[in-house]
Amino acid sequence: MLFRIDPGSDDPLYAQLAAQVRTAVARNELRTGERLPSARELATSLDVNLHTVLHAYQELRDEGLIELRRGRGAVVTGHAAPDLKELHAAVDALAATARRLRVAPETVTTLVKEALR
Amino acid sequence: MTTPRPTPPHRVATTVTTLVVPLLLVLVTVVVALSWTPRLPDPLAVHWDAAMQPDGFGSLKDMVAIPVLFAPLFAVGMWALAFWVGRDTMTRRLAAGSAVGLTVLMSVVVLGSLSVQLDLADAADAPGIGHVTAWAFAGGLLAGVLAGLLVPRDAPMPSSAPVDPAAPRTALADGERAAWSRTTTSRAGGWVGGVAVLVNVVLAVAMRTPSLLIVAGALGLLLATMLVVRVSVDARGLVARSPLGWPTVRVPLDEVVAARAVRIDPFGEFGGWGYRIGHGGRAGFVLRKGEGIEVERTGGRVLVVTVDDAATGAALLNTLADRARSAATSG
Repeated sequence: MLFRIDPGSDDPLYAQLAAQVRTAVARNELRTGERLPSARELATSLDVNLHTVLHAYQELRDEGLIELRRGRGAVVTGHAAPDLKELHAAVDALAATARRLRVAPETVTTLVKEALR
Repeated sequence: MTTPRPTPPHRVATTVTTLVVPLLLVLVTVVVALSWTPRLPDPLAVHWDAAMQPDGFGSLKDMVAIPVLFAPLFAVGMWALAFWVGRDTMTRRLAAGSAVGLTVLMSVVVLGSLSVQLDLADAADAPGIGHVTAWAFAGGLLAGVLAGLLVPRDAPMPSSAPVDPAAPRTALADGERAAWSRTTTSRAGGWVGGVAVLVNVVLAVAMRTPSLLIVAGALGLLLATMLVVRVSVDARGLVARSPLGWPTVRVPLDEVVAARAVRIDPFGEFGGWGYRIGHGGRAGFVLRKGEGIEVERTGGRVLVVTVDDAATGAALLNTLADRARSAATSG
């Protein structure tokens, strides 16, 4: 999969990485059994600290999205991908409403974050 | 736009390792065999059955016919491949390694099975040649690896010309870093290979032939190099490697001419699975039918690797190569 990090963004680097894996799993781009690069490989590839990648991977493991195996890197687990069709439909509806009411994207995400608390 | 492709480099080295050395080995084998003539029985044992009893007899001519005819023919074929389409190191290595390896294997088989018959009155008393076969395989493998290592590498061929503007790109913000990584596994190959290894193990136990376990082990290692490949694209370029670390192919960003997603047909275009050399010297990891990345490199080299989501990988490689070139020209 494609990993990208933007050092200029306000989000910490580990959170950017974790968010991309979550999105890829939710969109079914990453399937069960798929192997992610080892933390060391990914850290070298993106020229970031090894702990940044490990932090992201540990967070994903705690969420049950991936399994970490010694020497074998990270593997996407089976129970990680529930059917998100309903959620995608709701998100599409939310985006359409926000656009219609001309609410800024930042405001919408803040509202969603608060609602999820 | 088709620019004429440059001729493969290191043609003298290719001729020595892939043609001269194998031909000399055949010559030495024939000379040694002829020098032994007075001490050999007539007829000679030329074939052994499964219980290692001689069951075929013939003249010295029958014995050396195969290496004298087949090994040079094979070496000439490998030499022609490396000489005309061996633009990348791996193609030249495989050609030299298989030409030398096969010649050594055949020479050891011939000289070994003659040596056990030296000073025998009757070839029917010839002992088994199980150890000769083992030495032949080990010697052939070792000589092949050595020959491959002697092949000179490609010199770095950086390009400052822009990447083909028609090739796909990824949208990246300034300062944004990106990496792409994906593994391909050949499921069909895994099944076929797994069954072959299992059959070998079962035969080894049933026939009480522990040496077959070595064959099973060697086959397993070979499969590990041929059935799985991890492809990654980042600021260092594209790397495709097997889990064992060999073979590994690297394309540095400054050698990328253009990368594209293509459809690959292993049998139609490459004659099989594994690390393959296809029409026109396109070479690379061909593990299954379907999408893959094709990287046109400097020096007329073309690398292919079968991998899912090839479009993303190819686009990122082009974009990172653009970045590296503009950094090189402005800095």
